[in-house]
Amino acid sequence: MEQSLSIFFDQTVNGLVIGNIYGLIAVGLAVIFGVANLINFAHGSVYMVGAYVGWYSIMQLGLPLPVAFVVVAVICGILGILIERVGLRPLHGSARIAPLLATIGISFILDQLVQILFTPDPQRFESPIPAIRIPIGTTSIGLLDVLIAAVAITIATLLYVFLRYSKLGWALRATSQDREAAQQMGVDVNQVNRIAFALAAILGGIAGLLVGMYFQTVYPTMSAQAVLKGFAANLLGGLGSIPGALLGGLLLGLVESYGVALFSTSYRSLFAFIIVILMLLLRPNGLFNPKRQLPPEPLTGTFIPNNKRIHIPVWATVLGGVVALSLPFFFPNPYVMQVLTNAWLIGMVALSVTLVTGTAGQISLGQAGFLAIGAYTASLLTLRLQLPFELALLCAALFTAALGTLIVLPAFRLRSHYVAIATIGISEIINQIILNWRPVTNGALGLTNIPPPSLLGHEIVRPQEVYLFAFALLVGVALLQWKLINSPLGRVWRAVREDEVAAQAYGINLNYYKGLAFAVSAFIAGLSGAFMAHMYTYINYQTFTIPLSILALTMAILGGMGNILGAIVGALVLTILPELFRDLMDFRYLMYGVMLVALIRFRPQGLLGTE
Amino acid sequence: MTQVSTNEATSPLLQLRDVDTYYGAVQVHFGIRLAVNPGEIVCLLGGNASGKSTTMKVILGLVKPRRGQVTFDGHELTTIATSQIVRLGIGSVPEARRIFPRMTVRENLLMGAYHRTDQAEVLRDYEYILGLFPRLRERLHQRGGVLSGGEQQMLAFGRALMGRPKLICMDEPTMGLAPAVVDLVLEHIQQINRTGTTVFMVEQNANLALQIAHRGYVLQNGRIVLEGKASDMLASHAIQEAYLGAGITD
Amino acid sequence: MPPLLTIHEVTRHFDGVQAVDNVSLGVKAGEFVSVIGPNGAGKTTFFNLIAGTDQPTSGQISFDGQSLVGLRPDQVAALGIARTFQNGRVFANLSVLDNVLIGTHARRTSQQTINPLGELWGAIVTSRALREEEARVRHDAESIIALFGERLTPRLHHPASSLSYANRRRVELARALALHPRLLLLDEPTAGMNPTETAEILEFIRRLKDQKLTILLIEHKLSLVMELSDRVIVMDNGRKIAEDVPHVIRRDPYVIEAYLGHRRPSADSAAEMTALDRTNANVQARTAP
Repeated sequence: MEQSLSIFFDQTVNGLVIGNIYGLIAVGLAVIFGVANLINFAHGSVYMVGAYVGWYSIMQLGLPLPVAFVVVAVICGILGILIERVGLRPLHGSARIAPLLATIGISFILDQLVQILFTPDPQRFESPIPAIRIPIGTTSIGLLDVLIAAVAITIATLLYVFLRYSKLGWALRATSQDREAAQQMGVDVNQVNRIAFALAAILGGIAGLLVGMYFQTVYPTMSAQAVLKGFAANLLGGLGSIPGALLGGLLLGLVESYGVALFSTSYRSLFAFIIVILMLLLRPNGLFNPKRQLPPEPLTGTFIPNNKRIHIPVWATVLGGVVALSLPFFFPNPYVMQVLTNAWLIGMVALSVTLVTGTAGQISLGQAGFLAIGAYTASLLTLRLQLPFELALLCAALFTAALGTLIVLPAFRLRSHYVAIATIGISEIINQIILNWRPVTNGALGLTNIPPPSLLGHEIVRPQEVYLFAFALLVGVALLQWKLINSPLGRVWRAVREDEVAAQAYGINLNYYKGLAFAVSAFIAGLSGAFMAHMYTYINYQTFTIPLSILALTMAILGGMGNILGAIVGALVLTILPELFRDLMDFRYLMYGVMLVALIRFRPQGLLGTE
Repeated sequence: MTQVSTNEATSPLLQLRDVDTYYGAVQVHFGIRLAVNPGEIVCLLGGNASGKSTTMKVILGLVKPRRGQVTFDGHELTTIATSQIVRLGIGSVPEARRIFPRMTVRENLLMGAYHRTDQAEVLRDYEYILGLFPRLRERLHQRGGVLSGGEQQMLAFGRALMGRPKLICMDEPTMGLAPAVVDLVLEHIQQINRTGTTVFMVEQNANLALQIAHRGYVLQNGRIVLEGKASDMLASHAIQEAYLGAGITD
Repeated sequence: MPPLLTIHEVTRHFDGVQAVDNVSLGVKAGEFVSVIGPNGAGKTTFFNLIAGTDQPTSGQISFDGQSLVGLRPDQVAALGIARTFQNGRVFANLSVLDNVLIGTHARRTSQQTINPLGELWGAIVTSRALREEEARVRHDAESIIALFGERLTPRLHHPASSLSYANRRRVELARALALHPRLLLLDEPTAGMNPTETAEILEFIRRLKDQKLTILLIEHKLSLVMELSDRVIVMDNGRKIAEDVPHVIRRDPYVIEAYLGHRRPSADSAAEMTALDRTNANVQARTAP
């Protein structure tokens, strides 16, 4: 009894400490959400940069802790201002989803820069705080725990004083309550944005530093889940509410801490994602807010700028197809075959994104989840049930379509960028389930010895054959999709994209048609994932992750949203470019990030124009 | 177009010349010309989608016209940001009041003086405005969002006055208010004007606006179709026709 | 004959504001009823409640004996109720023809029995029946577009975003007619139109009325309302303050006050008095015992 009570106490302390940190991250997100109506995806990267700056200051430069805090604050503050300058300000007046995508691109860039500078490996971060434990009754509490709580409370107090009593703080609050009215009071909203981003980045950076000390390690991928955890905390407390964010952070910390104690550490991330989905569906205004409906929609609107589509004549398309088809016969270089096979397979993913996001207007950042479902289903079918590859491929794609649609269905109660976040959450939940459902998925070890693709009993292993198989799949999918978007169904999808309210007023059942779009999209992604699994012969829960989803989206934007040929061209360009500059291979994701930011800024209609 | 000559002896405080405004490819203003002289109450009338709220946005710099000039007190407004325009002495009572809902009445009022640096004078004005609107003094520490429509309108006036503007722009100040409150609001507008502040108001409610205004303009489909002395306009049938679209079929 | 559309004591609150307050109304088949009132009177909310875009806080709405409360807009549309929107909501990146074809969606026979797999299969292999249906609705859409003369026909394949404001409103009207509605809800179809364009739309709506289409109209231009309506209801502050035939409504003092803005008794300038005379005469005519 006494022991379980002490475990309970420890878990509570742990939960509150981590919760404080989540709270800091969440407050940063809330400040930006308030003034700019934007969920800043780069916030997690700023937090990671803060952790690295802190680690470098203390471990490499040997600076004392208080100085390290100042260094983190200054560098992250500047970083925040830069993000506002690059990711938000120039996009004023463009599609409202644009800044969200730009911050995703910026987070790619930051993550990659840190990896290049300090390697992808974790760095040991010895806390400069002595490991003294303060006894309390039968248990004790660490000095670091106390420090973290003290820092978080101090920052929260300072923030409160700033917002309540300073002129700039008033301007910030006024802007977040009514931007246009604030302008009419003489508030320079650009300046307010800058301050909000700087402030948020400082909070994020300090949170990173504290986390680094707490877990005694820093690593580049720590950014990945920070935004989602911060977002979960925000949703708990009500989007944009600063006290709510703090409270939500504490609550999330406690839930995680108790959850981990009850189940297992590997479930830790699952709780945040489940909270995100549940809150979005049940109480989108937060636990403390009684209103049922969603808050006024932030980033609405599709990413379809007015433009003229570049018309590619049919003969050119056919010629391109013939060239691609004959390549293995005239130029069977295994390396070229392999690169292009990858392009065809990821091209299918780009097609799946361009259908659901470009044609039907539902921003999906979760295609990787569909790939994972397809990959695991097909592999299990061939491994466990010895199904022939072709049949497994088809079954996996159909199963992905069915399951994918089913799990994404609840997100249709949401709109626009909330859908985007829900799809990320769903994709991560899929990976978490794969990680934890050991009897079926073999957990972290993944599935090995997956048989290679085969056709009518003939194993497809030669690079040319794999190439041709993948290309045939791509062409088949592209033709299918072409048929679909030029049918009355395609017209309905585009109407849903253009104006949901008007579409529904003319008899279009929104959920049904969004569901159909996701079903086809998941089918295509599942097909690609199933093929990839058999080509790699090994998959695990980290084979299909968020960066892959974002890469596919970048390809779709590069080619022109909704444009079938565009998606394939986008996939080719983004697969071949890094290969052309072999020396820059390490900078691949950096390039993707730069490309995404530049595209959104300078050519949102992509290379071939949207359709 | 009916022209009623107006007294041009003084140079106008605010002047729009040949303003063309677009939203994307759609043109909403076609060569708007209007002037507001110091000390006047001028109203701009028009139906839905006539472009009158856009006129307000152009003056405040929230929307930039493609062609034409907007001058205020010798400054060209089309090239500067809203925050600078406000500093030149234009106060605003936005459409639907746009009170900061989660700031207190006091904070809302002081936000109106955001761009001012003369703290002592700001506090004097604050006291003066609370004297003008005693209801606000009673509710000083309540959030703006919980006030009634009429109280919010008072707060919006007070907030605009806190900036000590030379010109106050009002976008549909009587919209959605109960008739008794409307009278009060109109009296306040006249009172604000008597203390030397020039008023430019956009209204749909033509008869009301013309009763307190010195001059009026009627906007239709982005064009000024009628202008003149308020009393003349009130008396003429032209206003009813232009404004309500009567005469299309008769 | 029972009314086609029956609205019984419908109320809609928003955060304590009564946007629509206890409004009742019956519209008979073939009738033309207009709703007028100042901005913010609750007219558009009233439309949204009928069309299913918004749900009433209390009260009943029924159409041809079936309750509309709780139905989604697409279900309401499927019953044969089409609407246009106050500021015009066309599908900007769709062609004029595609916009109007969306209007046919609810009444396509292929829609009645469809399942998801069937619909996907149909879109991919396009059976003969589907091809014929598509040709039929396309013909129908084109003939509706042709009703607007040379305004839209030359622009059949242009994206709606390239059209003038008035033309976009016409596309919206054509899209509504493509639903072959039994009840047409028009929300300020002439807002932002110049007198010539307004007159054109007036003629167009008059023809619809002559074909016995049941129409509920929100409009600010009183002359148009007076000319077309069988009955006019006047809303102010969410309430129905008057309901009668046009020539009675025209003289109703409440209507004059709500619509033109009331005249303050303190107004004393001679000019104002003369202006007042006209309306006062009307007021007296009606209030005299």
